[in-house]
Amino acid sequence: MNIIMKNYFKLLILIVTFCSLESCTKFVDYNPHEEFKITDQDYLKSESDYRSMAVSVYTPLQWINQVVPIGEIASDNAVAGGENASDVLSLQQIDDYTHNAVNGQLTEIWQSAYEGINRANYINQYKAVNPAGVAVNFAGKDALFGETLFLRGYYYFTLVKMFGDVPLFTDKRLSLSESKSLKRAPKADVYKQIETDLIAAIAALPAVQNEKGRITKLAAQALLGKVYMYQNKFELAATTLETVITSNAFSLVSNFGSIFLLSGENGPESVFEIQYSNTSPYYNWGGATRGQGNYAIQQCGIRGLNGSADMPYAAGWSTNLPTANLANAYEAGDQRKAVTILDIEAYKAANPSYNVTYQVAPYKNTGLYNQKYLPRKGQTSGQIELNYLNNFRIIRYSDVLLMAAEANVKAATANETKAKTYLNLVRRRAFGNNSRDITSSGTTLYNDILNERRLELAMEGDRFFDLVRTGKASATLGSKFVVGKHELFPIPQTEIDISGIPQNAGY
Amino acid sequence: MKLKLRILLSTAFVLCLMVGAYAQNIQFKGKVNNKATGENLAGATIIVKGTKQSTVSDQNGQFVISIPTKGASLVISFVGMTSIERFVNASSKTDFLLELSNSNNLDEVIVVGYGSQKITKVSGAISTIKSADIEKINAVRTEEALQGRAAGVNVIQGGSPGSKPTVLIRGIPSFTGTDPTVIIDGVQQSLVDLNSINPADIETINVLKDAATTAIYGVKGGNGVIVVTTKSGRRNQKAEFSFSSNYGIQQVTNMIGTLNASEYGAMINEGSTTAGGPVIFPNLSTLGVGNNWQKEVFKDAPVQIYSLNAKGGSDKMTYLLSAGYLNQSGIVGGAGKSNFSRGNFTANLSFDLSAKLKLIINASALTLESKGIAENSFNSVLGSALNFDPTVSLLNTTNNGSKYGYSNLLLSEIFNPLTVLENTYNKNLGTKLYGKFELQYNVAKNLSLISRFGYTKYDGNAKTFTPLTFYGPLNVDNSMNADGSAVAGKHNRIAHEKTSNFNYTFENYFDYNLKRNEHSFNLIGGIAASKLTGNAAGATRQDVPFNSWEFADFTAATGANTATNTDALSGYYYQYFRKNISYFGRLNYDYNEKYLASVSARRDGSIAFGNENQFGNFYATSLGWVVSNEKFFQSKMVNFFKIRGSYGTTGNENVNPQFVGIITGGPSYGPTANSNGYSFGEVFTPGSTIGSAANNALRWEKQVQSNIGFDLTFMNNRFTINADYFNKSVDGLLFTPSASLYLGTVPIPQANIGTTKSSGFDLTINYRNSPNKKVQFNSSLTFTKATNEVTSTNSDGTAKILGGYYFNGQSQSVTVFEKGFTPGYFYGFKTNGLFQNAAEVTASPKQAGAQAGDIKYVDINGDNVIDALDKTKIGDPFAKFTLGWNVNVQVGNFDFVSFVYASVGNDIYRAFERNANYTNKPREILARWTGENSTNDARFPRYSFVDNNNNARVSDRYVEDGSFVKIKNLQIGYSLPASLTKKGLDKVRFYLQVKNAYTFTKYTGYDPEIPGGILETGVDRGAYPQPRTFALGLDIKF
Repeated sequence: MNIIMKNYFKLLILIVTFCSLESCTKFVDYNPHEEFKITDQDYLKSESDYRSMAVSVYTPLQWINQVVPIGEIASDNAVAGGENASDVLSLQQIDDYTHNAVNGQLTEIWQSAYEGINRANYINQYKAVNPAGVAVNFAGKDALFGETLFLRGYYYFTLVKMFGDVPLFTDKRLSLSESKSLKRAPKADVYKQIETDLIAAIAALPAVQNEKGRITKLAAQALLGKVYMYQNKFELAATTLETVITSNAFSLVSNFGSIFLLSGENGPESVFEIQYSNTSPYYNWGGATRGQGNYAIQQCGIRGLNGSADMPYAAGWSTNLPTANLANAYEAGDQRKAVTILDIEAYKAANPSYNVTYQVAPYKNTGLYNQKYLPRKGQTSGQIELNYLNNFRIIRYSDVLLMAAEANVKAATANETKAKTYLNLVRRRAFGNNSRDITSSGTTLYNDILNERRLELAMEGDRFFDLVRTGKASATLGSKFVVGKHELFPIPQTEIDISGIPQNAGY
Repeated sequence: MKLKLRILLSTAFVLCLMVGAYAQNIQFKGKVNNKATGENLAGATIIVKGTKQSTVSDQNGQFVISIPTKGASLVISFVGMTSIERFVNASSKTDFLLELSNSNNLDEVIVVGYGSQKITKVSGAISTIKSADIEKINAVRTEEALQGRAAGVNVIQGGSPGSKPTVLIRGIPSFTGTDPTVIIDGVQQSLVDLNSINPADIETINVLKDAATTAIYGVKGGNGVIVVTTKSGRRNQKAEFSFSSNYGIQQVTNMIGTLNASEYGAMINEGSTTAGGPVIFPNLSTLGVGNNWQKEVFKDAPVQIYSLNAKGGSDKMTYLLSAGYLNQSGIVGGAGKSNFSRGNFTANLSFDLSAKLKLIINASALTLESKGIAENSFNSVLGSALNFDPTVSLLNTTNNGSKYGYSNLLLSEIFNPLTVLENTYNKNLGTKLYGKFELQYNVAKNLSLISRFGYTKYDGNAKTFTPLTFYGPLNVDNSMNADGSAVAGKHNRIAHEKTSNFNYTFENYFDYNLKRNEHSFNLIGGIAASKLTGNAAGATRQDVPFNSWEFADFTAATGANTATNTDALSGYYYQYFRKNISYFGRLNYDYNEKYLASVSARRDGSIAFGNENQFGNFYATSLGWVVSNEKFFQSKMVNFFKIRGSYGTTGNENVNPQFVGIITGGPSYGPTANSNGYSFGEVFTPGSTIGSAANNALRWEKQVQSNIGFDLTFMNNRFTINADYFNKSVDGLLFTPSASLYLGTVPIPQANIGTTKSSGFDLTINYRNSPNKKVQFNSSLTFTKATNEVTSTNSDGTAKILGGYYFNGQSQSVTVFEKGFTPGYFYGFKTNGLFQNAAEVTASPKQAGAQAGDIKYVDINGDNVIDALDKTKIGDPFAKFTLGWNVNVQVGNFDFVSFVYASVGNDIYRAFERNANYTNKPREILARWTGENSTNDARFPRYSFVDNNNNARVSDRYVEDGSFVKIKNLQIGYSLPASLTKKGLDKVRFYLQVKNAYTFTKYTGYDPEIPGGILETGVDRGAYPQPRTFALGLDIKF
């Protein structure tokens, strides 16, 4: 008994001393490994970790797809259609120029672009050494980081062209403690950072990538050219775009319509495409734009569309409809009109065997549909609205040519001959011959180039931003466009409220 | 109890020093009787104070004990009665009369955290329930005994066998994790564990309510603490056996009025024709009354409770051995489908290993078994019974697909409840072992060291079989065709899950007593470490042979995954753990039992807290003044009067460990859809990114509570009043803070930013009287009131926690936890009668789709448009106050018990109406609007299949006053007179019992008690009602 008592006593003393020391605190230290959780400290230890993390920097590209319909709906090219004045309210208000800071689509773009920036920042933060302080080197590491720099540039470019001055940070992924800590950086600083990123990306990236949709050096050059255009740095734009053209990596396909088919994805004139697929069906209405499918396709579709099995199109929401104004802008013989715009009644009449039936879009009906991105049968899966596979053609070679033409007209040392060459390359493809070549010069040539941009790139998301960039928004859109206000979209109200940053003028 | 043991230990110690001091002894003969009834008390313990000398009274209450010639003090004790101490010598009176003990008893010692205290010295707020009351209720779960008997505790019971009730001690501090902590014999357990204790084994339950009593439990104390003390044997007690059995039949108390077949047919016709559709039932006269499906699903169901225990002890050890068995079948579906059973064996043993060292081993082993049906949810059996087509024949006479009839109108979601019941197969088995090892070492007379290792081990094994089912030839939810073949792509499925957890608490503390003149001190201090670990593994497989429960097992199923069916075979595994370390201490002081003071503190570390806040400190202080012990206070009326006050802090560990995690893969279905990966070409490449953020400042919910109260005993100890007012505020509730959007889409970790406040009043009044030897009367009344408010959520007050989801053609949410309101209130539109004509519609605020006969909603915000902004508070599921009234009367050999419980001001949201075109409807629809001025009651709008006005939206139309008065327990018993009980039997009592005898309520549903979480309480989606039970019982002691 004595032995038991003594031992018990010893044990007790042991426990008491044990627990008075530091080890007791350790008892309640949480180690996520005990629950087999992978933490940031465990990651970026191999090439494949880096590569996997770089892939996810691409992901938010898919989420910001509403930039494309907004770029058209805000312009003279398209209307928001829909069921009634309150259907797709956030697009409807943009269409009507009554949009305010409470706008779901704008908030989604803002937050998604910043997620992309944070993802790019995080991997760049650990370029030299990983979170554990170890350098992980592998072949192609710089090129991989080139992709992430391009993507960061693209996200900032999206933000700056939509919102103007925006919070700018490149050193790290922000954590909760940095919430509410940032100010809006001047637009010029944001552009400067975009240029820096793209120039670095160009230096690191290869001209060709094995996987379709991976960023190439030429895509970075094209984007840099575009970024220069948005700053009216036409000389730099001209030389940068020239390198893309002279690389001879791209060509215009003769059949304009083929570009927008599944078979035309990542084709000969594709410089930069945002990739979507229907192979990973997604069902989350709580994050409708955040799957692998393209949410914006369903918006273009014709309501209640039905027809025979041969009829290629699938039904949709009719909330992104081309205007008659756009349709009328095409000259006769321009193959782009039929590719860009589907006149449903004409289509029905032309194809009686399809037995087409549909519902007229009740609100702002134009009878016209966005043929470039019209939903097609068999191209979605799962939750059909969310999973269309159509890539967004963000920079096509014709865009590069038209920008180069514009830059050559506007540059201090203008080269109108070159400009007309590039412009007419685009026109010859449109009309199938050189009969409609432009021969004008000066301001007329400039306006011809801008008009060509509208026709060539209609419904692809550039129109509104081109109008603002070229200072033609007010003249084109009329009095609803308030100069000094509507060049930019409002910063999401939630961000204003939480982060205490100032709103854009007029909102 | 522990204090008593310690006294015994110290007396034993003293004795050792005095061995041989007394040589000259005499034999003292005495007799022990019940003072009230005169009954002989067999088995009373008689101890010579200050010695080890003890004996037990015999059959006739007589005893003989050796005492010194010069006399000695005898301590006479008997279970349930007040011990007496009297000095005796050869010439003393030999009669010892014992009185029943109850809460009036001022000598009583009650168990608090880490020790026990004389009740008169307690300066905190505690409610106590004793074994006599617990035994009388024949509870399935222990919480039943707390309802209405413990002031300050709100219990909302469910009807499903063995189901866990809602238990709230002093208001609603949070929207989640509001269960009080349960301490069984010093060992920390959870409320869930109360399903595994045999109520017959319980000696007392003390509910610790204020900070003074709960702060010693730190982060576990925030929701109050239920301290359960089980029975044990006593030293030198002759073996005493008791056996009790109770057998009852349970039945449903009421049904909900639904339309009979012809009324239903007429209503469906009206609904269809007013919507421009055809007549559905052209020949109403053939329909008759049809089937009332409620009658088919409710079954009379038995409940049986047996327990047998033996207790006693020698001079070195004591024991309690107990075995119990309980089986409660459910009234919905009957024993085969709804059932809870428990078998338990308990051994509470204590050994004196030496004069100074004592070992206590408590061990309970049990098996739990249950079967359940879908209840209070989408597709609940009762929901189907209320909504299913009454024109359908009971049996399927037209084809082979199902045994029971089917509807050709209801083609999805709502099925014949008998088909649902028939195809419900599940079985949950559990085994549990819990208990403690405790060493008590008396270092010195006043100082003991206690080392306690408490544990709970649980293993669960659950199985659910989802057979292929045929609901009718046109039903879209069929998985089986009428010919018994599987619908293409459908499979039956067996799912298994094994769960296991092991929790331990290892506590070491000292207990030091010091008495200097009038000053008494009790100091305790110690360290506790606890760990909880658990895991679960499950597997599912399709294609059970013969679509039969008989072969429903993974091993018999044949499903194998293919490219087109990846769900044929699947499995999962997960594990979790928690660790806590705590330091605690308490100093109790009293001056001559007149001025009382107590200070307690606890420092708690938890693995769940963020790095910056790994430890939290909690403290409390209390003061008491026993006014009746003052010289100036001389009152013949008042026997005891104490004023108490306390203030302190406690916590609540409603948090999860924090880490910055990496997620790899593709889509995310999390709150921010923070997906990964990219499709290069059409080829998906998984990606990885940061998937979670850590809030390193995460901490406990902190509660500050103040309490003021008094205890008063007066009129010759006949009346006792305990009253308390409390006020508490909780901060640190977890909400997702508003964060800059430029942080991206990694889910923002929760932060401690919410606050609530509660205040309330608890009152217990007890009256007892024994006008003559034959009659004893005892009655108590409890009153519990708490008001609660959510005072903040996130910085802009926009964070809301929604709940109370149901489906009535649309997905609806009716409850919300929101700043500025009571927790979990009902949130929807207010109605203001019905539109009588088109002019009224035009003249009213714009309400899309409205026409005459539709509900007129109130334009709360006055913007002349009825929209979501007009939603407001339409009810509160929690009672304004509750009352419990208990009466015990003993007249000669007869005894009578009644217990009545009342809940006032609790609203119920009637969410069981599915509102599809062809569902059955409540009878009240017969009073619907049929034309101008036919009715203006917003509950009964016009009926049509097309509801453009959305009359089915969440509104006060569905809110009912659920206040009730329930006669919870009636019992009349008869004990055989001592003259009739044969030798060897001490007591034989028969009784008749009716539980839930009657409910007075205006609520039109089954049962106004609807438990659930804070956001689920009071939402009736077809909740399982509590049955009325007629039972017969027998208690024997020998």
